[in-house]
Order: sequence, then C-alpha cells, then structure tokens
Amino acid sequence: MRFIPSIMIICCIGIVSSMTACVTATVQEVREANTGMSSNDSIVVLGRRHRPTPAETELDFVACVSKKMSKGSQGVKVIGEQEFMDAMFPWFEPRTAPVYTSDLPEIMSQPALAKRLEEIGLRYLVWIDGNTQRTESSGSMTCSITMAGAGCFGFLSWENDSSYEASIWDVKTGSAVGKVSSDATGTSYMPAIVVPVPLIARVKAQACNTLAGQLVNFLVDES
Amino acid sequence: MTMPRMTMKACIGLLLAATLSACSGGATIEVPTQFPVPLVQPLPLTIGLHLDKSLTEYVHKEAIEASGNWRIILGPAQKPMFDSLLQGLFTGVEFVDDPLAPNDGIAGVLHPSIEELQFSTPQQTHTEYFEVWIKYKFILYDNNGVALGDWELTAYGKANEGNYGMKSKEPALQAAAFAACRDAMAFFTLEFQKVPTVKNWLQSALKEGRT
Repeated sequence: MRFIPSIMIICCIGIVSSMTACVTATVQEVREANTGMSSNDSIVVLGRRHRPTPAETELDFVACVSKKMSKGSQGVKVIGEQEFMDAMFPWFEPRTAPVYTSDLPEIMSQPALAKRLEEIGLRYLVWIDGNTQRTESSGSMTCSITMAGAGCFGFLSWENDSSYEASIWDVKTGSAVGKVSSDATGTSYMPAIVVPVPLIARVKAQACNTLAGQLVNFLVDES
Repeated sequence: MTMPRMTMKACIGLLLAATLSACSGGATIEVPTQFPVPLVQPLPLTIGLHLDKSLTEYVHKEAIEASGNWRIILGPAQKPMFDSLLQGLFTGVEFVDDPLAPNDGIAGVLHPSIEELQFSTPQQTHTEYFEVWIKYKFILYDNNGVALGDWELTAYGKANEGNYGMKSKEPALQAAAFAACRDAMAFFTLEFQKVPTVKNWLQSALKEGRT
C-alpha cells in the first residue's frame, strides 16, 4: 500500500508533462513558377550558413523539415544535408555555396558536379533561413536541497518565436520557383510547488511541421 | 547514521560534483579524420605530398583566463585531409619524404604547414559560436626539388553551441575546427590554380606532359 502514493505522483507528473502550452502558427507561400516532381526526382533541404549571423538556422530544424517531408502519403525523396554537402564537396560549403539563383549556371557548368546531380536525381534545392528565439521571459523559481529533501517553488514563463523562410530553387531550370514561410509563437509555463511542472509550447516543432507540410504541397502540386 | 541519510548525502555529493564538473572550463578535442574528396575534374598529373611532423603532430594549446585550458588536436587529421584533397585535384598522389630530392615520377611536391591557429569561445565573443581560424602556408617544389614559391590560405570554421545540447563545449569546438579544415580544402580546390606560382608551374607541367 505504501507505493500507491508514489504511483499517483508518477502518474500525475506523466499526465502533466504530456500537457503542452498553446502555439499559434501561420504559413504563407509565394509561387513564382510551376512545380511538380516525378518518382525519380529528389530534393535537398539546406540551412543558409554563408554569412556570420546570430540567426543561423538550427541543424535540428533542417533535419526535422527533411524528415517530415519524406514521411506520409505525399512524402518526397529527400537527401540528407550532410550527405549532400559531402557528395557535392566543395560546392555547397558555407563560403562557396551559391547565394543567388544567378550563381547556379556557373556551378552547373562543372561537368563532374552536373553528372553527380543527375546521378542523385536532384530536382529542387530548398534553402532555409531563420531560427527560433526566446523573445520574452518572466517569473522566478527557487530550488533547494536539504537533508530533509529537495523542492522548488515559483513560477516561470517564457515566449518563443520561430520564424523561418524556405526559398525553393529548381535545379533543372536554374531558377527560383517560390518561397514558403512559417511563423509560430507560443508561451511556455513552469509552475513549481515542490515539483516543477513544465507546460512547454513546442514552437519549433510546430514551425517544422507546418513548413514541411506546406513545402510538400508546394512541390508536388503541379500548378 | 541511517542508510537513507547516507544515501541522501551521497546523492547531494554527486550532484555537487556533477555541477562543478559541468561548470569547469577548458576542453580537449580531436578533429575527425573523415574528409570528402573534391568533386572536380582532376588534373592529369601526379603530385608529391610532403607532410612533416610539425603538421601531423600539430596540437594547439591555449590557457584562457577564467575559461581553463584548451587543446585542439589537429595533427592526425592532416594526412587524410590533404590526401583526400589532392586525390580529387590530381590523377595521382604520392607521399614524399624529402621534397628537395629530384623525382621524375611526379610533377612537383606540395609542402603544407600550419602557421597559426586561433579560436574563440562564445564566452569571449558574447555570441553562441565557437570559431576557429587556421592559417596554412604552402610551398610548391618542382620535381627537381627547387622551391617555386609559397602562399598562404586562411580557413575559417564556426559552430553554434546551441546545436549540440547541454554538453556542447567539446562537440561544438570540434565541429568548428572540422569546418575550418573543410573550408581550407574548399578554398584550396577553388583558388589554387589562380595562385601565380601554381599557374606557372601547371602551365609548364602540363605542357611538358609530366606524369
């Protein structure tokens, strides 16, 4: 019977941890040209790293978008960012990657590179700019450990803001075909009376889901 | 003292030790040794590559005030790095012990060295980035052991510590140093034929049809 309270505490923590705070997400797209993909076509999602900036896109966000785009009934063939950079070395390194679509023809004129791109069936390059930042935080929490036990008391809240933009280049035509942007905002809370209970707003994950979903629709729809 | 109390003391001790170790400064990292081969049309020449111990055993040591002792072990990565680089740029690569010894089997010898390495931590720059700069010096010899000239190349690599979770110090610094090595390879690939010394050497080597 002594372990019943422990089980209850664990259950409560589990239930509360599975609760998440609300996230507001918006997604927009601008189409400049028709798109479409055949079964042999593949895409790659790359983070923009050509300039020193505090707003560099996180590696895990790029990996998340790649993974989400390859899943589901409409999933497309996605080449991993690092795998692509190694296969195309040194043409897509931070300081050598094409910055504008006008840079593509020069790169594509390299016979070895053009041959490799054809081998892997690359149709679209998706460049991601942006990141997730903590825009606001408030509250305080005190935790202490004594011989009698440990505990925390207080309340914390913080707001995260994700803002990403994906530029899509058609490798076949050497032109930009459009842009998809995803913004998400959410406030996380952490009240603590002995045990801190985090209610996390999964802002970045939401931005990843919406951006990946919209990108797949954008590329697959032949319009 | 009862057992639960002893356990509690041990837990608190472990917690304090873990906190102290997490806060301690400095790190030792070794640069990975897997490098991609450049995707370019190789020149129909065999190049000699001379790597001396000052390069293959290169370790950068630096003590930073209030940040501890830092070590970047770069040497072991240099042989695979230059091997991969030249394998992509030339049809043949041969390791050479003495760059001054005449060798008809090759078109020339490249002798790289590290002039300087600098790095910065997020603490120093108030950013989220570890940054690494490596200044390489290259000497080119012809196949008679005559030094034709030298040039320098500065490579740069950065890594955001936010990408590497809670224990980000070592993996982020390692990623920055690795990125600097890749940057050196990338710039060498795209720029080396524009270096006047290399340009002249290539013209005569290709004209003479050296191997």
